[in-house]
Amino acid sequence: MGYEPLANKNPLRVLKIGQERTSEMGLVMARAGLGKTALLVQIALDSILLGNRVIHVSIGESIDKTRVWYDDILRHILQEESVTRPHELIDMVQRHRMIMTFKESAFTRPRLEERLNDMIMQDIFKPNCLVIDGFDFETADRSTLEDIREMAETMSLHVWFSAVSHREDTRVSSAGVPAPCHEVDDLFDTVILLKPEKNKIRLDIVKNKGEAPEAGVDLDLDPTTMMIQKG
Amino acid sequence: MKRDLNKVRNIGISAHIDSGKTTLTERILFYTQRIHAIHEVRGKDGVGATMDSMELEKERGITIQSAATYCSWKNHDINIIDTPGHVDFTIEVERALRVLDGAVLILCSVGGVQSQSITVNRQMTRYKVPRIAFVNKCDRTGANPKRVTQQLRDKLGLNAIMLQLPIGLESELEGIVDLVSMKAVYFDGDQGETIRYEEIPDNMKAEAEEKREELLDAVSMFSDELMEAILEERAPSEEMIMDAIRKGTLNLEFTPVLMGSAYKNKGVQPLLDAVNDYLPCPTDVESTALDLNNNEAEQPVTNNSDDPLIALAFKLEEGRYGQLTYVRTYQGTIRKGEAIVNARTGKKVKVGRLVRMHADQMEEIEEAGAGDIVALFGIDCASGDSFCDERINVSMSSMHVPTPVISLAIRPVDNKAQNNMSKALNRFGKEDPTFKTFVDHETNETIISGMGELHLEVYIERMKREYKAEVEVGAPRVAYRETISQRADFNYTHKKQTGGSGQFGRVAGYLEPLEEGEYEFVDQIVGGSIPREYIPSCDKGFQKSMEKGILTGSPITGVRVVINDGSYHTVDSSDVAFQLAAIGGYKEAYAKASPVVKEPIMKVAVEGPSEFQGAIMGSINQRRGIIVGTFEEGNYTVVEAEVPLAEMFGYSTVLRSLTQGKAEFTMEFSSYKQVPKSVSEELIKAYQEEKKNQ
Repeated sequence: MGYEPLANKNPLRVLKIGQERTSEMGLVMARAGLGKTALLVQIALDSILLGNRVIHVSIGESIDKTRVWYDDILRHILQEESVTRPHELIDMVQRHRMIMTFKESAFTRPRLEERLNDMIMQDIFKPNCLVIDGFDFETADRSTLEDIREMAETMSLHVWFSAVSHREDTRVSSAGVPAPCHEVDDLFDTVILLKPEKNKIRLDIVKNKGEAPEAGVDLDLDPTTMMIQKG
Repeated sequence: MKRDLNKVRNIGISAHIDSGKTTLTERILFYTQRIHAIHEVRGKDGVGATMDSMELEKERGITIQSAATYCSWKNHDINIIDTPGHVDFTIEVERALRVLDGAVLILCSVGGVQSQSITVNRQMTRYKVPRIAFVNKCDRTGANPKRVTQQLRDKLGLNAIMLQLPIGLESELEGIVDLVSMKAVYFDGDQGETIRYEEIPDNMKAEAEEKREELLDAVSMFSDELMEAILEERAPSEEMIMDAIRKGTLNLEFTPVLMGSAYKNKGVQPLLDAVNDYLPCPTDVESTALDLNNNEAEQPVTNNSDDPLIALAFKLEEGRYGQLTYVRTYQGTIRKGEAIVNARTGKKVKVGRLVRMHADQMEEIEEAGAGDIVALFGIDCASGDSFCDERINVSMSSMHVPTPVISLAIRPVDNKAQNNMSKALNRFGKEDPTFKTFVDHETNETIISGMGELHLEVYIERMKREYKAEVEVGAPRVAYRETISQRADFNYTHKKQTGGSGQFGRVAGYLEPLEEGEYEFVDQIVGGSIPREYIPSCDKGFQKSMEKGILTGSPITGVRVVINDGSYHTVDSSDVAFQLAAIGGYKEAYAKASPVVKEPIMKVAVEGPSEFQGAIMGSINQRRGIIVGTFEEGNYTVVEAEVPLAEMFGYSTVLRSLTQGKAEFTMEFSSYKQVPKSVSEELIKAYQEEKKNQ
């Protein structure tokens, strides 16, 4: 399809994350403004390039704003990498992605499940991957996450969350997952931390399906596109 | 005489079809002594209700156009804007809402909150219109005002509390209990014109006490005074309660619910009292104007009749004596004989006649102060124009006008109809900004376009009835386009020798897809192989070729034409010869350039109760639509999608039946996209057939 350069620079593809067919839960953590949403969009794009369908759940954001994330990142990518038929890529992304927004207070498993089932039952859109942006880990209780994990298992979904960590909150779980997720880190198969460094973002894998993180797998990313930096 | 703006109410009456809005308006006009007899909507006397001024409405028993009418009740001036209750006419509703300060939402006590109430309520919320609810038709079998109140809370999310209780229901409806004054109210006389206050019947006392507690509980938060009185266990005064209700209503945090039966003449006068007591006066509502001299900076209007005039023309009507322009003044005074400036055109116009409208009848007035709604005669303007004093240059923020999405070809049956049709189209275009008309130069057909099939149907009806213009109507059409998808060369010689001077011209070059823009002509001729004077002829020939593609006969867009070679003949070459050569060259290359058909894709947003989300998404999926996303708003889900316009015909009907009429959709043009192969083949086939039959 001519999208190889995209795949080759996608951090998830390189890390071989999220390619198994079974369900799993992943978590992207970072302090505010470091590119959690951008990385979630990359996760979604990678999944789409693998032929999957993705639902982007935005909590507390509008459809338009979420859409702009995709448009911007795609535009950046297309500026840097030459793709044979850019319109086809944009079209494919549109066909394989759906945005679902929720008000902060209205996001619950039954609500989500109902809205998903509305589409799945009619064969309108069958997602393989769910990225959930804006979930509030500070106020959420463990049971909500357990609920969603269970739903992911029944529906065979890959689910990715984003969470904001705070500089002043130094609590950390034994696996190295910072607050506010330090108490629920066992629910996630993969946890990725984003850390700022001069002109780039470092991607740190804190947890990868129970395996100890290998030394040297950390990657440097371009802060605008969250693609692996050249050189 | 200076008018007290506190005693002015500009209100709308808005509701579902058949909830009795027109009957209620009729009763209001009767009790306020604007009319002296009551006609029913579908009355046996054939006169029809006063507010529905168009014949068509009389026949169908629905209100299409909003007419403004004036009345006065207990020293308050009330302007009523009768708003239509039809999804397809929402531009009318929205325009009316813009100039209202408050509204009465009418509900049927049997039907309850129906689709239209939901739509209208949401529009009112959007325009921040404070409202009171009136549960009508309490005399009907199955009437249940309590259930309707609960629906107002559940389905519309309003903090709705009953201010009254019905005494008896259905055929036993006798009157109402007023929970503020704790009195029973009866309506005596042939037409309920005499009001009798009594003690609350014994069997209702307990219930009335209980409901009053609920009411006090709900409104005490809007008034510290009332809260204190309740905490200190003092009996709150009527004024205190009314003040709290008013505050809550104006903040849009509380919706008083009144009830009755307009048809049986019960409960209408208390509703008028409530309009005076609880709905805002012009100064309670903040309106802003745009200062055109200062980069459209927003400025609040003063509502002061002594300030320079700012007024908004919100509705035009063809009256018996020429164009009638309904205006709402926001500040300053309009006086007969004075000059005012149309802020859009900058033209100065003189106010000839100024009238206060009462449906079809009118009353001449000398001047109208801030906050009033009046009509002007003989002023040439479009709907939505602002008028101001010549000293200032401001405009009321322009009303959002959606672009037309559907078009139809119309053909007058004879010459007379032709004349009448142009008159009618001219008129409609001015009255309704969403109705557009133009002539297709290729087919010479008159094309009308608007917001939906029903929208256009109503205008076609009006053309027949009001203007006696019989027209034949074509099928609704989508505007397709063609474009090329790859580069192709041409080298074409046009040669003709038929005695006398011949024609000769050769052009060579190529066509290629143009990413942005419709057409580009590049001249790369060197060494004069085509003389300079014939270059524009080539350009002209190519442009002509762009008008009609070979696949579907649609206009071609997105082509760059490059010419780089050619030859000429000193005698036989001419402007025409090179134009024809260019057309021939274009034709030759176009077929090789893999032409494709493109169609308009609409951005569609369907809004409906969440329980219909699945049905809505299914309907979009069936229409080659791509669902972009969904979001929830209260009990509402909005599905955003991109759908080809061609698939949207008849969608409003489908959507209505899928969702019991509870969903509505809006659409706007998004972009042109290539049509899928199967569809394109069908379009091409249809075009070939059409050509054959010509």
